[in-house]
Amino acid sequence: MAEDLVLDTAIRDWVLIPLSVVMVLIGILRYFVSKLMRSSPSPDAKIVKEGQVIIRARNLKAGANFIPLRSFRTRRLYFSNEENGLLHVPKGQGTNPQAQMFSDPNMAMDMMKKNLSMIIPQALTFAWVNFFFSGFVAAKIPFPLTQRFRSMLQNGIDLSTVDVSYVSSRSWYFLNLFGLRGLFSLILGDENAIDDTQRMMQMGGFGFDASKSLGAEKDGLDIIQHDWALPRFEQRAESVLRKLVK
Amino acid sequence: MGSSEKRSKDVMSDIPTFSGENLQKNLKVIQNSRTFLSIIAGVLAGIIGFTGLTGFVFYFVVMLITSVGLMAKAGFSADLYFDSWNRVLFDGFLGGLMSFVLFWTFAYDLVHIF
Repeated sequence: MAEDLVLDTAIRDWVLIPLSVVMVLIGILRYFVSKLMRSSPSPDAKIVKEGQVIIRARNLKAGANFIPLRSFRTRRLYFSNEENGLLHVPKGQGTNPQAQMFSDPNMAMDMMKKNLSMIIPQALTFAWVNFFFSGFVAAKIPFPLTQRFRSMLQNGIDLSTVDVSYVSSRSWYFLNLFGLRGLFSLILGDENAIDDTQRMMQMGGFGFDASKSLGAEKDGLDIIQHDWALPRFEQRAESVLRKLVK
Repeated sequence: MGSSEKRSKDVMSDIPTFSGENLQKNLKVIQNSRTFLSIIAGVLAGIIGFTGLTGFVFYFVVMLITSVGLMAKAGFSADLYFDSWNRVLFDGFLGGLMSFVLFWTFAYDLVHIF
């Protein structure tokens, strides 16, 4: 059964706490560095215009039920008119921004910078942990795990009779990696709370294809059925005003 | 955690309308409170010395208490503040789990295996 190992106090002081502190500090550092390094690319006028048109179309879709039927129809016609509607892209003229993106040196540099700034601190810390803190038991996790996790968690420890709960520092590093996400979201404000793990999941496929999204917005607008949402707004205005006046 | 929740749904008109910005702010409040409480629960569990399944049960108990607390703050009518009940009750359960485990391990080691 599980004998309780008594571990050296020095392990606490010199392994667990410094590792956690270092990871928190690196996270904060990375946040500030990414904020400083955020270079604003000079926007292309055409792309900005198209982006704004899409935003307008989306607002129209969102607020469609709050304007009278005729107003909605005129606005929709403005967007999707076959000849000179804003969203109508004649076939074959849609530029291919994917090719543009990769030949545009600015954007490629930005993406590379973002990738590097995420991966390098992680890799460095991992290498540091492996170099300095391997070969001894670092912590005991309070819940039992099956034997299959042994190879993963007890990496530097070569005794096979030690309980799987006693883990090496590498697993303490991984535990910190996942667990400090929550702490970062509390400390750093709510914006840059997502760090590596979530950003790595988001990284694939970020192509902004203007012509496709224009076409998609046009189809979305065409589909909408207008449903007048404020048929009794005179009564409602009256009741609100009465409450205010009382 | 003491910020006031704003109404994000207007129930007086016939079709329910949501104010996106308020909805998001309310969700942020929920997320912050859950994260904070899961960290505190982790430290508590470590200090008290829960091991194994008891610790996870404790985590779920604390999450349930959070849900009840959030519901009470929303005046027990989640419809006014959120778009669905599930958000208030169950959102962020598992997100806090990793933080809980980290701080539980940390506190447990500091206190018991010293």
